[in-house]
Amino acid sequence: MAVTTQLTWMQEKVLQNCFGGKQFSLLYKATIHGSSSGDLLQRCSNQGPTITVIYSETYIIGAYVQESYQQINKGSVILFSFQRTENSEFEIRRFKACTNNDVDGQRCDRNILYYGNRDLNINIYTCYISMSYNIMKEIGLPLGDICFQECEVFRCEDLLDQRKINMVTELSKSLSSDMRTYNPCRGLVHQIRILLLGPTGAGKSSFINSVKSVFRGRVTNQSVMGFDTKQFRTYSIKDGKDGNPLPFVLCDSMGLGEKEEGLCIDDIFYILKGHVPDRYQFNSIKPITPSHVNYIDCPLLKDRIHCVAFVLDANTVENLSQEMVAKIKRTRREVIKCGVVHVVLLTYVEDLHLITKADLVDPYRCMPVKFKIEAVHRELGFPLSDIFVVSNYTLEWELSLSKNFLILSSLKQMLRAADDFLEDLPPEETDGILK
Amino acid sequence: MAVTTRLTWKEEKSLQKLLGHASLTLLYKSSVHGYSIENMLQRCTYQGSTITLIYTKNNIFGAFILGHYPKIGEKSESLDSSFCFSLQKKDNTIEIPTFPFNRVPEITANRLAFYFCDYTLFCLNTELKQIVIVYRLEDKAFTTPKRFHYLECEVFRVEGIKDDSCYVRRVTRVTQHREHLLAELRAYKPSTCLIPEIRILMLGPVGSGKSTFINSVKSVFQGHVIRQAIAGSDITSITEQYRIYSIKDGKDGISLPFMLCDSPGLEEKEEAGLCIDDISHILKGCIPDRYQLNPQKPITPSHSTFITSPSLKERIHCVAYVLDVNSVNHLPCKMVKKFKRVQKEVLHLGIAHVALLTKVDNWDEILQDDFLNMNRSMTYESQIMHVSKMLNIPISNILMVGNYASECELNPLKDVLILSVLRQMLRATDDFLEDLPLE
Repeated sequence: MAVTTQLTWMQEKVLQNCFGGKQFSLLYKATIHGSSSGDLLQRCSNQGPTITVIYSETYIIGAYVQESYQQINKGSVILFSFQRTENSEFEIRRFKACTNNDVDGQRCDRNILYYGNRDLNINIYTCYISMSYNIMKEIGLPLGDICFQECEVFRCEDLLDQRKINMVTELSKSLSSDMRTYNPCRGLVHQIRILLLGPTGAGKSSFINSVKSVFRGRVTNQSVMGFDTKQFRTYSIKDGKDGNPLPFVLCDSMGLGEKEEGLCIDDIFYILKGHVPDRYQFNSIKPITPSHVNYIDCPLLKDRIHCVAFVLDANTVENLSQEMVAKIKRTRREVIKCGVVHVVLLTYVEDLHLITKADLVDPYRCMPVKFKIEAVHRELGFPLSDIFVVSNYTLEWELSLSKNFLILSSLKQMLRAADDFLEDLPPEETDGILK
Repeated sequence: MAVTTRLTWKEEKSLQKLLGHASLTLLYKSSVHGYSIENMLQRCTYQGSTITLIYTKNNIFGAFILGHYPKIGEKSESLDSSFCFSLQKKDNTIEIPTFPFNRVPEITANRLAFYFCDYTLFCLNTELKQIVIVYRLEDKAFTTPKRFHYLECEVFRVEGIKDDSCYVRRVTRVTQHREHLLAELRAYKPSTCLIPEIRILMLGPVGSGKSTFINSVKSVFQGHVIRQAIAGSDITSITEQYRIYSIKDGKDGISLPFMLCDSPGLEEKEEAGLCIDDISHILKGCIPDRYQLNPQKPITPSHSTFITSPSLKERIHCVAYVLDVNSVNHLPCKMVKKFKRVQKEVLHLGIAHVALLTKVDNWDEILQDDFLNMNRSMTYESQIMHVSKMLNIPISNILMVGNYASECELNPLKDVLILSVLRQMLRATDDFLEDLPLE
């Protein structure tokens, strides 16, 4: 049998968040490692803070202890319980046990774990726990002794420890460097143009600001947010305050809207082919025409869009109206017809249920993020491997390591997508450079 | 003191990848929990498979043990798929050469020794805090015993892997086999000089994974996931053009002498999806790259881009029927009829053909442990027999694959499967080309 926890991802996550963004390492499991306090102490002593979890038929009960397991220790203790339930909504009830120096925080004696002033007793040999009635009421348990089926002990570590911080720092530096030295498809064009498309309010302009912020070194707000974008804008990104332009440009457009509102579908072809000039004022009902004074008649390859990013708010992506879904699909078909490679960006991932700042370092391992990505795949048809998550700068004044990393990672994928597009252009459009 | 590993994140990532994306849980750390064997065993027994790491000043040595950690004095018996390894820094990457054990490690009160036959590969002496190395992994050679003082010993539980020896053997050998296959395919030359490039056409229902397979092949040669052939799903085909994709060997590499051709999906209805008459023209090489296909109106010789006298190299040399393995047994009658009509044309034109079953769940078990042949997995036997009968294709040319559809990173086990499938397609093609009448 494998040594794995009974906690579901959701249960473990709620517990981790409850105790300050920890991650848990399973050290002891009574049904495998033995039912004596000696068996437990062998594995769990000197491991730092621990959490002991008891599984009864209907409740999960436990204790968080700040100090290492020892015969006796005086660290603070938090008792908790929650109901075992199939749905993902459950509440942890907590009780801070006595931290009076006169009373031991935790004690092991003859197969019984004592907490506080006998606030909680766990007998791992007979598989019963007893608790003072006051505390049972406090944390929502039915009165009386409780029989349990399993006892697990975990070491608690910070989810975002120094090692992980070092990792993200190093990776972000590497990604930034790759962006600066990026050479689109052996110099076919000097700059990649990435078009952001998506419903109004999904975070397109916010993403542009976030990218600018990453390379500026502080949060910047050049692209006006909070108002519907009505113009076609191309934003060059500078490397540092007075640095050189980076080899990619982000293009913002009017958001997709319901019915006759938002970006006109017929405009998309012209945007993708490079006919629409910077600052062109969109009209929801009437696409640009060749007779428009600013229409670009013969756009070069460098004027075209080389990659499209569909920007969707992770929190509302499952509540899109049928009309919006249909519009996104139609838009995607236009992009496909023009042969432009595209990805999906899910924004505001930090607002998803249970997600904390520390999770942003590796969000793809989190169930709520996986569910959203699968929802996009299922409802809109994008391949799973083309869907990325980001967290934009909206309220902050200073940069965040994990947000930078997510933004840079998604940019890298877009540059790769652009390479895929450029490499696949027909020979007559590349003047034979690639042959 | 916090109980955390000395491994850098990059080193940990390399170890996890070595075992097929396992995760590691630190159980024992000698500087915290005591240096004796007894201290170690207290925490490490009955924890499932483990990795033991020993840090010297300049190196990290390790042992992977499949199954529970042995106890003091435990009798020797056959130990399958456990191995020793070391972490070697090379340029910007970390390499992990391995060597197998075939005996249970021998544990006494202060000594932990790992064996291959009667040779001690390395030995940990906790009393002296020394590690004795007898086998140099980087050179794959035995050496006179070398002693090093070690700084730390850590033991991790390995989670997320299948706890059986076949799986471990497979994941530890896969990288070597991947390089072998890549080299073979890079060196591939069509068996006849009349045809410098092989063209393989993907044919199959909407959503069966044709474009995704092409992207997967390209991804393997590029070294990262690619999305050039537009994939995804919708009620009707995402692909509307006929496309010919060349495969580049690495970024800025040269094109390899085979091309994968993508087509719109087949549909049940007569006037929807790829038109049968267009298929005939594609097979003969009359349709140019990027031609916009019309389900209701096949191309005609009078079309401006129609290729009236295609050369041998412009023809399709192999057809891969692409089917979702989960829908093979439920194909509508009309779809089956379409397939048979297409197959008739393919046979008439003397074109090689294989079937490719996609969306296979246990793709990591399709190949045998040595990666040379397919396992005849009981899971999909009925699907394989069904396709074999429907299209009259020998079972050895019914291939199974798991495309890169949901990952952002390459997986060497999946790479090997994709490359093996591609190689089989090229072999099937060569068989047919050798049978070409001289014209």
